[in-house]
Amino acid sequence: RRRAADPTLPKSYVQNMFKHFAKTQVSKDVYPVVNEILQKYFKRVTEDLEAFASHAKRRTIEKEDVELLMRRQGFLTDRSPVNVLIEKFLPMEYRKLLIPIATSGNKVIPKQ
Amino acid sequence: MDDTLAQTQRLKAAIHFTTGQICQTIAADCGREFSRQAIAAIAETTFRQCDTFAKDLEAFARHAKRNTINVDDVKLVSRRSTALSTYIQQKSEELASAHQEQKEKRRKNTVKRKHQDTEGDPEQNED
Repeated sequence: RRRAADPTLPKSYVQNMFKHFAKTQVSKDVYPVVNEILQKYFKRVTEDLEAFASHAKRRTIEKEDVELLMRRQGFLTDRSPVNVLIEKFLPMEYRKLLIPIATSGNKVIPKQ
Repeated sequence: MDDTLAQTQRLKAAIHFTTGQICQTIAADCGREFSRQAIAAIAETTFRQCDTFAKDLEAFARHAKRNTINVDDVKLVSRRSTALSTYIQQKSEELASAHQEQKEKRRKNTVKRKHQDTEGDPEQNED
């Protein structure tokens, strides 16, 4: 059993996400397994990011570390650069943060 | 296009040959036989693995803002499997120590040569 102090993603969020991508009926007892896998995934990813940041002689994890990680995971290729994935999967407010030019109607709004 | 194809064919042939040799030594150790198809499959796998390794190494070197791939990048590639990374760590240390010894030898040689130069060779005075 994991400690209760472990930070986790909200249960409903994980379930909804899994249902959305599974495109089929998902039973309730799948959730603990998915959550366990998520925990392991986060652990591994953080170790990788740490290694990449220290490789570039930094102590701060930056955007390029995450891009390198996704490139190694096979999500990023030359055909699908990072911006394409951002546009595909993230909601508008995060897209605005990551790609400053992406606003509705594709108008560039100068910063106030 | 044809030239690059010939090049890849040559590389694949070299890898196949080396794979055959390694498999032969392993077969001698274990008392098992490798079929020809198995050796060919291992060679092909090795070739494609090299492709991914090359891409990864390039990405890691670029990530550290270098154009030259060095030992750190290789260690980072092998980080996933513990046994392999410890092995590569050992190997790199051995290589580093050997390199150090070579450097010291060279330094001693240059010092010797300088000594000879200062003493002056009798053959050089004939020019």
